[in-house]
Amino acid sequence: MDNVTKIEKDVNIVAYYFHNRGPRLRCFPKAMEWNGKRISFTETGLVHPTKKGQRAIHVFDMTDGNADYRLEFDAQTLGWTLVSVADIGLSQNAPNKKFEFAH
Amino acid sequence: MHIDLNSCFAMVEQQARPLLRGRPVGITNRNTEYTCVVAASYEAKRLGVKVGMNFHDAQLLAPDILLVESDPPKYHHVYKILVEIMRSYSPHVTMKSIDEGIIDFNGTEPVNRRPLAEIGREIKRRLHEQAGDWMTCNIGIAPNRFLAKTAAGLNKPDGLDIIDHTNLRQTLSKLGLTDLTGIAERNQARLNAVGVYTPLQFLDASADLLRRHVFKSICGQDWYQRLRGWEVDDIEHDTKTIGRQFVMDEMRPNDETVRARLAYLCETTAVKLRYKRLAARGIFVYARYASGDYWYERRMFKSDFFTNAELLRRATLLFNRRPADGWVRELGVSCYGLSPSVQNQVSLLEEINRETWLTEAVDTVNAQFGEFTITFATSLPAKGIVKQKIPFGSTRYFELLCNQA
Repeated sequence: MDNVTKIEKDVNIVAYYFHNRGPRLRCFPKAMEWNGKRISFTETGLVHPTKKGQRAIHVFDMTDGNADYRLEFDAQTLGWTLVSVADIGLSQNAPNKKFEFAH
Repeated sequence: MHIDLNSCFAMVEQQARPLLRGRPVGITNRNTEYTCVVAASYEAKRLGVKVGMNFHDAQLLAPDILLVESDPPKYHHVYKILVEIMRSYSPHVTMKSIDEGIIDFNGTEPVNRRPLAEIGREIKRRLHEQAGDWMTCNIGIAPNRFLAKTAAGLNKPDGLDIIDHTNLRQTLSKLGLTDLTGIAERNQARLNAVGVYTPLQFLDASADLLRRHVFKSICGQDWYQRLRGWEVDDIEHDTKTIGRQFVMDEMRPNDETVRARLAYLCETTAVKLRYKRLAARGIFVYARYASGDYWYERRMFKSDFFTNAELLRRATLLFNRRPADGWVRELGVSCYGLSPSVQNQVSLLEEINRETWLTEAVDTVNAQFGEFTITFATSLPAKGIVKQKIPFGSTRYFELLCNQA
């Protein structure tokens, strides 16, 4: 089973990068601060829109090479939320913890 | 041109989560021990994991397999990208399911002057650019839908194949009868009974033999034409039934639990009805018991219905007549006798108007603040348990599903 920890906490995105995907320059998160730690992303997986009622939410699936992070950007409040972290056990420093399933 | 995304859901998850790439991945609809794999990555398929296999069997074959719960909005995003790319070549685009579709280039010759193989390669490149580096697709090009689908399945993954009059016999000679879409064990047995054992013999069989002795219907004539590249599958079917079913999450559910799931199924079925702007007159309720017994009851009513409350009331009427003994393992509700909804027509009966207006108000609130913001109190225990599944057969409710996800 997939080891996904549900977080659902507001986080600060402290660095961005820009990439020319399609006709326009687009903005992606590069690093975030969470639990007093700075996590630098190494790759952007998939960015897709979704909705919560009428609110547009942009979902960013990011990785730092050790775990996958699911971030949501609320286009109305302009805030970032760390939704979940998925650890598939690649990190040597990964905590020996039984994760809960994300719902 | 038939376009088929390779192991779509698994590949989208691998695209979204780079750490899953190169690993055996299975997609499930629920994260439980009793779940089954609804899509497998090519790494998992190479180890023998198949779609529909349960979790324990998949783990025996691929101990490192990682099961990921399905996430419909992701697949919807890739689906929209694919549809947008396809529609840029022809207005005649038919999506057969979430991960496969057909472009009919007939009549677009003045615009598309390039060879179709070149357009196919361009579609692959655009999918890479817009959906992600990991995304690949199979493309089949042929005179009709059936042969195009056959061509798309020849070289997986990431293939591009053409079947035309020059290589039709050569291509069919490499296939078995059940490799053909629409020929499974029963049709194979029918063909074997008249001495047809290979697709080439099937191709050489006369229309009369297929119609009179093999399929014993017009289907035989259709197969005769289909194998020769004539288009016989360009048909759209109307919606005949709308419903939902659920396999119980508890081994021994009590009556309250079962009724909560029934209420939830009725609610989501009514939402589907209104989404399609239809009303139903008939209702069908079934239950499968732990003993293996199966019970169903159906009734055609005089008046039509489309509201949550009315559907639940009528379904409960039938459900109360079920045999009370045994644990319910599976439950389903289905509506039939569908006709265009008269929701906008004001009724002479004030009671009906009040219910219609209440339903419209609830729908408006739910559209604004998210699905199931206002819901039946009885169905609350089922919320979060009865989840929307990925629709395999069609994409009719995909937008609705993504709103509910």
